[in-house]
Amino acid sequence: MIKEPLLRIEDVVKKFGEVSALDHCSFDIEPGSITGLIGPNGAGKTTLFNLITGVLQPDSGHIYLKGEEITGKRPYEIARKGVGRTYQIIRVFPKMTLLENLIVVGKGKERKMIERAMDLLRLVKLDGKKDDYASDLSFGQQKLLSLAQVLMLDAQLILLDEPAAGINPTLQNELMALIHRLNEEGKTFIIIEHDMKVIMGHCEKAIALNYGQKIAEGSCDVIQKDESLLEHYFGR
Amino acid sequence: MKNLFERNWVILGIAILMAFLILFPFFATDYWITLLVLIFVFTVYAAGWNLFSGLTGYTNFGLAWFIGVSGYVSTLLIADHGFFWLFAWPIGAIFTGIISIGVGYILLRIKGVYFAISMVALTEGTRELFGTEYLAPITHGGKGVPFVAGIRLPTLYWSILLLAFITIIVCYKVTSSKFGLRLMAIREDEQAAETLGIHTTRDKIIAFVISAFFVGLAGAIHFTYQNYIDPTFAFNINLTLTPIVMTLFGGVGTVFGPLTGAVLFTLIHEILWAEVTLLYMAIFGGILMTLILFFPQGLLGWMKERGILPRIRKI
Repeated sequence: MIKEPLLRIEDVVKKFGEVSALDHCSFDIEPGSITGLIGPNGAGKTTLFNLITGVLQPDSGHIYLKGEEITGKRPYEIARKGVGRTYQIIRVFPKMTLLENLIVVGKGKERKMIERAMDLLRLVKLDGKKDDYASDLSFGQQKLLSLAQVLMLDAQLILLDEPAAGINPTLQNELMALIHRLNEEGKTFIIIEHDMKVIMGHCEKAIALNYGQKIAEGSCDVIQKDESLLEHYFGR
Repeated sequence: MKNLFERNWVILGIAILMAFLILFPFFATDYWITLLVLIFVFTVYAAGWNLFSGLTGYTNFGLAWFIGVSGYVSTLLIADHGFFWLFAWPIGAIFTGIISIGVGYILLRIKGVYFAISMVALTEGTRELFGTEYLAPITHGGKGVPFVAGIRLPTLYWSILLLAFITIIVCYKVTSSKFGLRLMAIREDEQAAETLGIHTTRDKIIAFVISAFFVGLAGAIHFTYQNYIDPTFAFNINLTLTPIVMTLFGGVGTVFGPLTGAVLFTLIHEILWAEVTLLYMAIFGGILMTLILFFPQGLLGWMKERGILPRIRKI
């Protein structure tokens, strides 16, 4: 039996003026998977995240989450349905403490929320800084805090925009290990990444975009062997 | 140092201060009572401005619109329709709160300087509207409305004291609540807040309306105290600017900053006015520039940064 996809992108088009950021793009994301989203700059990867999270509206096409159409819904509604994201340029709340950064996202009773927030801070090893302002963290730590916020939201589908960029290799490995652990707990990930090593090493599947079109989709081995794609990507 | 902030001492201190303020009209002269009335009116204006703008980061340059609309509604009810002041005030404030839902729904989509300018435009437009002869049968046009509400000065003083007290408690509750955190998240990064599941439009409108209600209530009391209202006076840009400066003075986004600012600002203003009448604006401007240059976070923000006050949201 085929599982119902967690996310279905169906014939999505998004234009900025004359430029097609996404050009009739379609694919499915299976629950519990880690998918890499690759492509050169301007291929439409971040635009796709913006469309899934409702920050932008597609010109045509449909987006379904667990079979329910979410096209045209407001970002907060989509977030509450279990879609979380991080940004390429980290966007935590600078003049709020780490604990506040998490509590503000949480739902429910205050005491339970604080407990949960502390658990998540321990998970990303930032519990010692709970009362510091987020602006006092290093770039890499802010990325971890941003991921903790998404977990606080209890998102099932997590969209990561270049999680490994700009952080040191040790932190990178820790981050990827954390992603695998969360994946085993049932979280689904879509990861935009420029570092092919990260994609090949950590994703089961990859989708390649170029000029807003899906040019390849498949297991990482297949993608890597695809000559035309490599040409686009590495400009051979 | 820590003992100083222990809960019981703080509560005792506030109780003594409140007892003093409540008994104040029995031993003070009218001059001092009047001065405190103005301090508390401006405390509510500043705290109300801070509750919305200080937390959400949407700079409201139309505070005078809240003040003027509520001032006019309550004044007209008292002067032309024989309403008792105690009923006219909340009706003015509730009316202002209700139309603020519509105004917020439309204008809170625009950000930054555009929101600020559109609130100025709304205020100026409403001032013109209230002064036209077409509306004169209702508003008395540009001539203004002199009136007597039949309230004694001590009663007026106690009313505004109570309102200022309640406003600060509301600010305290909001700032240390999850709702307050959501408003700060909007200030820090609205789009990120939205993609983390925060219904930013709804939260902004709620804060805007709470602000409108309290500022409106103080506006109604303000004009009852003045026994007079006209469009220039009611929608005056100074009614917007002064509370903003007071808040900057005390500390934007803090609970007690607006109160501190209103007290210090009014006292400095009063002393300069009495002592160096001709130069007071120049000296006052100098003090303001110094403060903004060297204490951009305001007095309370500065004290928190230096560790004189604990760095918590509840202050």
